[in-house]
Amino acid sequence: MDDKTAVAQSIPTDAPPEPLPNETALRHVYAALPVVLPLLTAVLALIAWEIAVKAAGVNPTILPPPSAIMTRLVEAYPLILQHAIYTGTETIMAFAISVPLGILLAVAMSYSRFINWALYPNLIFFQLIPKIALAPLFIVWLGIGAPSRVSFSVFICFFPVMIATAAGLQSVDRDLLKLCRSVLATNMQIMFHVRLPYSMPYIFSGMKVSVTMAIIGIVVGEFIASQAGLGYLILFASSRQQTDFSLACIAVLCILGLALYGMVEIGEMLMRRWYGN
Amino acid sequence: MSEISQVPSDDVICQNVRKVYGTGKAIFQAIRSVSFSVKQGEFVSILGPSGCGKSTLLMMIAGLEGITSGRIQVGGRPIVKPRTEIGIMFQDPTLLPWKSALDNVLFPIDMMRRPRRQYRERAIELLRMTGLGGSEKKKPRQLSGGMRQRVSICRVLVSDPRVLLMDEPFSALDAITRDEMNVVLLDIWQRYRKTAVFVTHSIREAVLLSDRVLVMGGSPSTVISDIAVPFPRPRDFALGETAEFNQLCALLRDQVQHAHVEGGKAVAPAPNALNSGAF
Repeated sequence: MDDKTAVAQSIPTDAPPEPLPNETALRHVYAALPVVLPLLTAVLALIAWEIAVKAAGVNPTILPPPSAIMTRLVEAYPLILQHAIYTGTETIMAFAISVPLGILLAVAMSYSRFINWALYPNLIFFQLIPKIALAPLFIVWLGIGAPSRVSFSVFICFFPVMIATAAGLQSVDRDLLKLCRSVLATNMQIMFHVRLPYSMPYIFSGMKVSVTMAIIGIVVGEFIASQAGLGYLILFASSRQQTDFSLACIAVLCILGLALYGMVEIGEMLMRRWYGN
Repeated sequence: MSEISQVPSDDVICQNVRKVYGTGKAIFQAIRSVSFSVKQGEFVSILGPSGCGKSTLLMMIAGLEGITSGRIQVGGRPIVKPRTEIGIMFQDPTLLPWKSALDNVLFPIDMMRRPRRQYRERAIELLRMTGLGGSEKKKPRQLSGGMRQRVSICRVLVSDPRVLLMDEPFSALDAITRDEMNVVLLDIWQRYRKTAVFVTHSIREAVLLSDRVLVMGGSPSTVISDIAVPFPRPRDFALGETAEFNQLCALLRDQVQHAHVEGGKAVAPAPNALNSGAF
């Protein structure tokens, strides 16, 4: 938009040549600032970290400089990637289960007030439990394999989807529901043709919270019991005081999280295009 | 006009309709007693101050709200639940944002599980008639407020209902768009001649569109006057400039003010008492 107006202005007012190129350039810089500034801040912070650690002579076991982490990451790249695939796959599995589960529970509770009364207070109560505390029990129940980690992650991350969907299903305009009843729409039709599509923006905001929690769930699971995954690698490296290696894994974990979040964002973009908003 | 020759039967009949909300001490009487009838093909407006129960009455006729006592009949059968022969329109267009204009118009057809193919042509024709030809594929967001309300007019007409119920359909629009919409509705109603009950706050709108205007008032409310609008049809917007039109508006304004001030003591007049010999 800014670019277009800048171009549009530059065409008719071509006569005074001196101030305009500057102004256009400034506008371009201004438009790029939202992207450039955060990157600049991050780079500056990394440089400050590098200089501070080296100047103060901090033991690299306590805090290695970013350059050392980067070197380590490049060195151990194949190994870290191999473990990242485990973590990524399990996270996606947990997310892929928790989204339909959350939606299904919300639909069931909105469909019948009896189901709502029976479930809702209990689900809230479950939410109040510090769920991390239950992670070791999932190992007891389901073993040390992927099923226990994925189940634990689902247990953590279905809730935001459920709450968001429930809010979306309730947000439908009252008059629209009256209209549906006046054309003799069944509850099932109202659910699938009106309420659920109406809730899509809500569902996606729930999914954005849920996807970050899915990774937390898997990594916590890996901390407790596993022979693979980034969580396992971080714990392994920490126990051997390879702080640079741990931080390299954490960096990959960040990238993984960002990628999954980005996928949900792209999905949301496509949904908004369909939704017409 | 030709419709006078056929004897019009009453399409909507309300007899001593009462509405009370709540029970025990929390009881609230919204409508004391309302009786009126609307002939087939007649356009009746209900005017009255906010909170007088106009919308409640409309929802009761639609079968969307229970009746405490009294009787409502549509097409000769008492209303117990919603029916497809009754179409309703609201203040907001209540369109589905993800559906195109055409799909929104066909929404009632989908819900009624009728075959889309049979109604597609009609839906496109209705959109064209309301000035939305070529906008079939646009989504509500791409349409202005007036255009959205036009889509909702098409939607209520697509299934060819017997009775149209409209709950202040244009009151959320700006004055210019509202005038425009009155003309659109006038044209489309003059073509289809549906039995219509139209709730509004606007006296001019009521007079322009209606064959009869009912004034509701009081608390709990009743119909305090029933006034015939004798202007011949087809009408157009120029009618609003005539002295007779403005005289009738002044009379109604008086009635509405009366409804506001002394409404509590108002007595329901005999239905159609003022209406005899109007046509």
